Amino acid sequence: MGSAPGIAPAETILRPQVRVGAVARLRDVLGGFHWTFLVGGTFFGFVCLILLLTPWIAPYDPITQVLTDRLQAPSAEHLLGTDHLGRDVLSRLMHGGRFSVSIAAIAVLITGVTGTLLGALSARIGGVFDEAIMRLVDALLAFPEVLIALFLVFILGPGYGTLILALALSGWTPFARLTRAITLEINTKEYIEAAEALGCSRTFIIFRHVLPNAIGPVLAQGFLRFGHQLISVGGLSYLGLGVQPPMSDWGAMLADAQVYMIRSPWLVIIPGLAIFLTALSVTLAGQGLRQSTLRRDRPAATPLEPTGAVA
Amino acid sequence: MARFIARRLALLVVTLFVVSLIAFIVPYLGGGDPARQILRSRVSDLALDPAAVEAVRQQFGLDQPIYVQYARWLEAAVVGDFGKSFTNRQPVVDMVSGALSVSIVLALAALALAVVIAVPLGILAAVRAGGRRDSAILTLTQGLVALPEYWLAPLGMLVFAVWLGVLPAAGWTSPESVILPAAVLSLRPLAYLLGVTRASMINVLASPYIVAARARGLSQVRTLRRHAVKNSMVPVMTLFSIWLAGTLGGSVVVEVIFAIPGLGRLMYEAVVNADVPVIQGGVVATVTLAIVINTLTDIGYAFLNPAVVVGESRG
Repeated sequence: MGSAPGIAPAETILRPQVRVGAVARLRDVLGGFHWTFLVGGTFFGFVCLILLLTPWIAPYDPITQVLTDRLQAPSAEHLLGTDHLGRDVLSRLMHGGRFSVSIAAIAVLITGVTGTLLGALSARIGGVFDEAIMRLVDALLAFPEVLIALFLVFILGPGYGTLILALALSGWTPFARLTRAITLEINTKEYIEAAEALGCSRTFIIFRHVLPNAIGPVLAQGFLRFGHQLISVGGLSYLGLGVQPPMSDWGAMLADAQVYMIRSPWLVIIPGLAIFLTALSVTLAGQGLRQSTLRRDRPAATPLEPTGAVA
Repeated sequence: MARFIARRLALLVVTLFVVSLIAFIVPYLGGGDPARQILRSRVSDLALDPAAVEAVRQQFGLDQPIYVQYARWLEAAVVGDFGKSFTNRQPVVDMVSGALSVSIVLALAALALAVVIAVPLGILAAVRAGGRRDSAILTLTQGLVALPEYWLAPLGMLVFAVWLGVLPAAGWTSPESVILPAAVLSLRPLAYLLGVTRASMINVLASPYIVAARARGLSQVRTLRRHAVKNSMVPVMTLFSIWLAGTLGGSVVVEVIFAIPGLGRLMYEAVVNADVPVIQGGVVATVTLAIVINTLTDIGYAFLNPAVVVGESRG
């Protein structure tokens, strides 16, 4: 059948919506994200890049003491000044950040995987298992995570591994609650009923149907938790429970600097600012990601369907 | 109703038993020989006299099997006797209750401040959700969540105590010394309480009875005051009680920085000094309080809204 007179051919209707060129394509991809995700994500990426390159680009050795140069204000020679033992603050900040950020990242990875799986299993199995997991979540919520960390330090002694374990023990609950809620909603869907009728195993349903639906919110939650964990890491090492001297992370730098606060305020300001900005950037990224997953879940407009042209 | 309360109370007893077991055993997992620890914390001598170690072991009943020790400890704990501190030989009950009274003042001050700011701001954000004001408030809360307390605290001391000289830097002596730590401690709960107020308010505002009230011609302010605010406060209360429980024993960093003799600092020092009885007593106190607060909140809801008793499926 030929096209009726007065109706434009499909190509001309489609044409204005098809963008060409690399810049336009990039805009299409980025346009799917919330602006806070782009800003926060870019800043955080920049921080990670610097921390990765630290062994090659840090201006000084972080633990070499030059006592004659102690407590210097920021200058061309020492961009962020020197601490109470004459060590270069910028270099210590870069090396310390590797501890802070990697501890928080590993803790989030561990808790993200375990929490998500436990939440999905809890909602799929239900019954006593579900009840037990949820009571455990409640119990952990009631127990301050600092006290869990104190307990672990008492048993295992302070250090990198203890910090990760402490954060992982209490940190999986938000992921479990989130995934459980998502799974309970998916449980009511017809395709789950169909999969069950076909005799699909629990593992198959979780990996094929539940997790793909949960991945967006879980990722957003991961960013938000990362900010939280970064601050917790700092707090625990501020208390001397984390990385031990002569190395130090951002929290320990703050603790070292407090005695010299009045004479050298920048020693307190700089490591705290590093924690704040990094935590803020991942929090913004997480919020932005959450916004864009919400937007995607709404019934989207379908621009490539030439409605009205074929009617 | 009576059955609901009875079930909650039974659950409380069981949980407390489990907590007591954990609180008793965990301190023994790490410290090695407790008899040596007790001696070491007293004489700070690295080469201990074996006879003295044996004497301490018998004096504290540490030569008994662990379940006998636990039974003895539990028997005493039920009537409020958690033994004496290894380090200063004070009764643990006195130390914990003294520290707790300090922490309660600090936690209530911080949370009151948080609620007073968070609830109005949350309502303001919710009334025109998605607007400019809403996104400004949301961005502010994200900033608050990212602020470390152990950074704000020294900066606050620097500004208000050293440069301006209007507040004491640390300690727990005058009423003014509450202000700075409470303000620092309030920011994070403020952010979360604001978020919950906003979300709950948005839900309530979308419900039919609010639309009906508006349709009857009630002004927006009257609708908010008469109907919306009261109904949106239930999730806010839940979060408040969670934060109250968490802040009582969990404000370790702030209490250490400001030299406040509260429960958090007591626990921190007990861990650093391997003071097992204080750790046990402190943990039992913290968790008991958290559970009691939770149970009271649950029972409180049951009175406010009897549907809770029927089942949680309506939520």
